[in-house]
Amino acid sequence: MSISSPQTGGTRRPSTKPAAGAKPAGKSTKSASPAKPAAKGGGRPPITPVKVSQGTNWGPIALFSLVGLIAIGIIGFGVWQVFKPVDTWQQKADAIPGIVNYKKTEPDYLKAAQHQFGPITYKQSPPVGGPHNPNWQRCQGDVYDAAIANEHAVHAMEHGAVWITYRPDLPKAQVDKLAAKVRGNDYMLMSPYPGLNKPISLQAWGYQLKLDNADDSRIDQFIQALRQNASQEAGVVCSAGNYINTTGTTPHDLGKEASPAAS
Amino acid sequence: MLTDLFAPPRRPALLLGALAAVVALLIGYAAGLLTARPSTPGDNSPEAGFARDMSAHHAQAVEMAMIAWQKSTDPDVREMAYNIATGQQAQIGIMQTWLLDWHLLPTGTRPKMAWMPDGTKELLPDGRMPGMATDAELNQLRTLTGQPLDVLFCQLMLRHHLGGIHMVSGLLSLSHDKQVTDVAEQMKNAQQNDVTNMRRLLTDLNAQPLPS
Repeated sequence: MSISSPQTGGTRRPSTKPAAGAKPAGKSTKSASPAKPAAKGGGRPPITPVKVSQGTNWGPIALFSLVGLIAIGIIGFGVWQVFKPVDTWQQKADAIPGIVNYKKTEPDYLKAAQHQFGPITYKQSPPVGGPHNPNWQRCQGDVYDAAIANEHAVHAMEHGAVWITYRPDLPKAQVDKLAAKVRGNDYMLMSPYPGLNKPISLQAWGYQLKLDNADDSRIDQFIQALRQNASQEAGVVCSAGNYINTTGTTPHDLGKEASPAAS
Repeated sequence: MLTDLFAPPRRPALLLGALAAVVALLIGYAAGLLTARPSTPGDNSPEAGFARDMSAHHAQAVEMAMIAWQKSTDPDVREMAYNIATGQQAQIGIMQTWLLDWHLLPTGTRPKMAWMPDGTKELLPDGRMPGMATDAELNQLRTLTGQPLDVLFCQLMLRHHLGGIHMVSGLLSLSHDKQVTDVAEQMKNAQQNDVTNMRRLLTDLNAQPLPS
């Protein structure tokens, strides 16, 4: 393509030479085409053809305007594609219909997340954050078949886990669908939750979404937006040394005797 | 020359076409300069899939190594465990930082291993990635002490590493992102050295690797 354009110029230039050579015949300006003087013979300098050739040439203007507009469009689209703002995980979470963001209504409660032994009363049911047991519930894709202690689950959410809870009367087929989203996936745990006011409730630190059905597409949206992202401590794990991977709603106060002032 | 350019050419269409071609090439070049620079792996790229899956794969290795570090009394096993736990946890941080840099979430939308050709077929029947231990094996590791603990740790970690090396090799055959492949090469080298050392440890412990 680019090679052909100089050649076009090259072939054009010799063709103008006869015109220059024909100059004495007519006093036409340099821009007169060779054919015109020849046709007029020895007559006076033709005026009309000159005016035509010097008039505004709309062809190139239109062409270059069009090319320019296309160019601006292409470049603008490319730049927008590259630099367009990406939704943050918080924006993605807040966009999920029905989600409750307790960070907006309970910011202080969710920031002061102290360790404490013994049973803890939570503001939400199931809880979405707050003070918690020093030991966290193992959350490396653990599917618990019985209720677990809030105090350990809250600590798991502090580490970035998404906790799926369901009312014990949820049909087994739906429980299995939920379990498939959890089993083998790090930063996920699941347990039945007696007394739940909806069939299913999803929790991450500060967020809750209550649902009627395991086929609800918002479950995946919740997990994608909040799993790990909702963590309160960057880079912490879901496995544990003093692991809690057993069920029972009474917190396991491991090490309580050894550290009475555990914080 | 410039006046020549604006003289009515004999074949104006040809000249304009040529000029348009040159302008188009310049536009393409400018657009490329402006937009190509910050391109990063996408949500379904091998790099993103690897970062997510290998983070989970590493997390189990860290858990097993921490159990061995806590409970083993063999200095060689504890040193091996310490090295694996700290090294792989750091690598998890590197991989998670990639995802942040690429404006991607830690959680993808596709199944595990889908970033590798036929990767989902390599998942074990219960959905585990290659080399990963079962919950029952981990629980067994927690209950053991002494030489049986050292043997099971080396067996599980050896198998875990071989699965990990397989996944790293899969990435290396797919990715040309130097930032990613450099770290992946290091993972592969480190795990291959660990494999050699753990085979020797198992021999010292009068034990065999798990059947594959």
